[in-house]
Order: sequence, then structure tokens, then C-alpha cells
Amino acid sequence: MRMNVFWRSLILTLFLAFMMIPVIATLIFSISTRWDRTLLPEGLTLEWWKKVTTRGAFRLTLRNSFFISLATALALGVLVTPTAYWAHIRFPQSKVIFEIMSALSFGIPGVILALSLIRFYSGIPLPLINTPNILLCACMELSFPFMYRPVANALDSIDVRTLTEASQSLGGSWFQTLLRVILPNITPGVLSGFLLVFSTVFAEFTLTNLLVGARFKTFPIYLVEFTRFDGRQASALAVISFFVAWVVSLLIIWITGKRAIPAGGPVAGR
Amino acid sequence: MEAQSINILQIKISRKWSAWIPLLPLIIFSIGFQIIPVVSLVISSFTGKQGITLVNYQRAFTPFILDAFCNSLRLSITTALLGVVFGAIVAYAIISSPKKYVQDALIALADVTTNFGGAPLAFAFIVTLGSTGIITLVLKSVGIFLYPNFRIYSITGLALAYLYFQLPLMIMLILPSLLGLKKEWWEAAINLGANNLKYWRFVALPILVPSLLSSFFILFANSFGAYATAWTLTGPDVNIVTVQIAALIRGEVQLEIGLADALAVVSLSIVLLCVGGYLWLANRARRSQT
Repeated sequence: MRMNVFWRSLILTLFLAFMMIPVIATLIFSISTRWDRTLLPEGLTLEWWKKVTTRGAFRLTLRNSFFISLATALALGVLVTPTAYWAHIRFPQSKVIFEIMSALSFGIPGVILALSLIRFYSGIPLPLINTPNILLCACMELSFPFMYRPVANALDSIDVRTLTEASQSLGGSWFQTLLRVILPNITPGVLSGFLLVFSTVFAEFTLTNLLVGARFKTFPIYLVEFTRFDGRQASALAVISFFVAWVVSLLIIWITGKRAIPAGGPVAGR
Repeated sequence: MEAQSINILQIKISRKWSAWIPLLPLIIFSIGFQIIPVVSLVISSFTGKQGITLVNYQRAFTPFILDAFCNSLRLSITTALLGVVFGAIVAYAIISSPKKYVQDALIALADVTTNFGGAPLAFAFIVTLGSTGIITLVLKSVGIFLYPNFRIYSITGLALAYLYFQLPLMIMLILPSLLGLKKEWWEAAINLGANNLKYWRFVALPILVPSLLSSFFILFANSFGAYATAWTLTGPDVNIVTVQIAALIRGEVQLEIGLADALAVVSLSIVLLCVGGYLWLANRARRSQT
């Protein structure tokens, strides 16, 4: 049943080349003096990295991105974990609601979510439109499945009922049980959800661009501005983006010993 | 006996309305920031100055908008189809590799690159295949001139960039099903006189069809809703639906908010149909495998 060695090597080599060449090329491009006329870079330099990282806007956008990613991941963790636990132990029938919510979060394209939020909330006098608040809410909505899936999987993999009964028979309240008994047992799930949300929001461009525009510049917005203005500095920024996504994915694989993408509810930020 | 009584107790609790209370914050959040805005978008797309109307949809019937939908559909079908076929082949090559570390490394690569997308990816493709990109230069040095026949800033270039995230996604989606093919089935087929081709045609493929089809749907939806990659790579040059909707939101063209609503509702219907198809098929595939 195994594939012929020749074909297997050919297919895997082509796959590896397709996936690696753009990333490696961007990395080398960012440290080349010039690489648009000759087969090999004309020289190596760290000038573009120095130039782009010493700008004030670099630190500001990086800070904004860290802030919004962290806030989204924390808010979702606090909102989703207790809910998923309650649904698991007291109300398993309600899980279908969260499955539908996950499917909608994946299905509704960012452009359409942005349009619907602008159209609806621009008529409502809340401090939302054109502020980072609406971006936070939209990012939470977008990345909900990334938090819910790992937490729900973690809950499925332990004996929640026995743990809860043991804790309650010793006099623990519902909240104490969650915090002291359940949470330590599902830490890998919560942590990988946290990291998945973080990296999704860190790479988020569509919602930021359409909901807040220039009022709250994040790292991907800064990167897109540079692609039209200075390619070599933009390539340094692209390498940083790849690096963040790469580190987060490896962290998740390391924490859970499993693949980072929850089957059936993947990808955002396209 | 005791376990039974606890079960009965829990069912009683869950039937009580108070069991809903801890679920409410999340549900209300989702209703407030997803359901209500989207439903109101659908309603307003059917609303004009004189009440219920289809005028917003009629306005969408211009050659320009129809072209945008054609391009989006073509792009999504092409990249989903290529993603499904090549992704499945690569995934099969990965699991048939005899070395465990090769398998692990390639699966980790697919896992990580599924997260690469949007602006940095688009830029990486400009560096690689742009008019002075490195592959362009390499090919030029051996006498193959990519430009001006091929442009990375075109819909073909966009399809190539989309494949970069479609391919690893497909690998991650299909791996569990491929690993579910039992060696005994192959042995049984061979013992009964089948060759490899017949095994694939009559045994393996029919088992894989639901997973392949459901993956196609998710890849299609993934590509149809994509915006950041297209915007960074081609700007307003390539006419696809998400770019048009975004342009209407930013008010770059004459502000026609009713038109934006109608375009959004049509796109949303297409994408949600795909997600629904995916869920239905994935559910069936899961049931038939267990």
C-alpha cells in the first residue's frame, strides 16, 4: 500500500520547496543590500532591520498588536472556560449552541462581520464604533472557536463528573471546583486556546483595517503600509510575523503534544 | 444505584431554566456581536425607502459586480479543487513515509503554515515571484521568462498564494481519514485479486469521498471569504467580492450602502451553505468511521 519511493520523494520535495522558498526568500531578502538584479544577493546587511525597528511606529504598532491579542485571549478565556465547564457538567444539550456559534464564527467572512457591526452599531450611542472596543469584540467573535474547541476537547478528555462530585462532597463550591480542581486538569487545553487566539488576532488585518483603520494601527496594518513604500523594510516585518506564528504553533505542539489546528474550526486572518 | 439517582437529579437540574443562567453571558455576547448585526444586515438589504424591496439586489446586476462574483467563485473553486487533490496526495505521501521523524516534521510544517496567511504571505510571494522575485530571476537565468505572461499581482498569482494556505489546511483536514484506512482492507482487496488501482477505485476512495467533499467545502469557504491576502497582493486590481465590499465600506467608491448589504448577503449565503455542507458531511464521515 506504500507509495513508490521515487514518487514519494518527488512529491514531498516539491511540497517542502513550495512551503519553504517564500519564507526563506523573505528572510534573505530582508538582510540583503540588494537582490533584484542578480541571482544571489549582492551583499548582506542588517540596515533594513535596524531602520525599521528603530521607528517609533514600529514599537507602537507592535505594542498595539500585543495589547489587542492579549486582551482578546484573556477575555475569551474568562468568558469561555466557565461556560464550557457548566455546559459540560450540567447542560450537555446546550453544547450544540456553541458548535453552531463556532461554525458561524468560522463561516462569516471578516469583511462581512465588519460591515454588519459598522451598520448596526453606528446607530447606537455606545462607545464602540471607531474605537478599539469594537475591534476587541469583533476579534473575540472571530476567534471564539479557537478558544472553545481546545477547552471542550480538554473537558472531554478528563472525568469531569467524578472530579466535580469529589470536590463538592468535600464542600467545594461550584466556582472553587472550577478554579482549584477542573482548571489545573485542563490547563493544556486552556493554554493552547489562549495561544491560538493570540496568534490569530496578532495576524488579524481585515477587521482592524475596516473597523478602526488608522485610529488604532496594529502590526499587520503597519506591514501592509510598508509593502507599498519600502519592500526591504517590509520583508523584515514579514519575517517577524512569520516568527510569531511559528513560535506560537510550536509552543502549542509542545504544550499539548498534538497539532495546533483544531479539526473543523481552523484559520482566520486571510 | 447511586449513580443513577445523580443522573436523574442532573437531568432535572438541566431542565430547570436556572441551568441557562451561567451560559447567558457568552450567548448574549454572541447574539449582540454576531446574530443581531448580521440579521439586521439581511433585513436592511431587503429594505428601501418604500419598505420591502429587491432594489438593492437589482443594483448588483451590473457587469462589474457580476464579474466580481465570477472571479471569486472561479478563484475559490480552483484553489479548493487543487488544494483537495494536491493536499490529499501530499498527506498520503507523508503518512506512507517510513521514517517517523520525517512524518512528524512535515505534519508540524503543515500545522505551522496553516497559520501563515494574509499580509506577510502576500509579501513573501512578491519577493519570490514578483517581477524581480528570486524564482523569477532564477528562471530568467536559465532562459525562461515568466513576465510579462505571468504576473503575481493577477488572479493567477492570487490563486498561487491562496494555495499556500489551502494545501496545509487540506493536509490537516484529511490526515485523520487517511490514517483511518486499515491495512487489512488493502490486504483483503489484494487477496481477492485486486491490484493497487482497483483498491483505490473500489475500496479507499469510496471511504474517503465524504471527507474529501467536506474538505472541499471548507477550503471553498476559506478562500471565498479571504480578503487580507488579496488586498496586500493585488490591491484593487483584481475584482473579487470581498475587495468590492471592503471598498464600499471604506467609501472609496460612491457611498452605496444598500449595495454593500446586498453583496454581503449573497456572499454570506454562499459561504454558510458551504459551512453547512461541511458540517453535515463531516458528521456523516465521523459516524461511518466509528
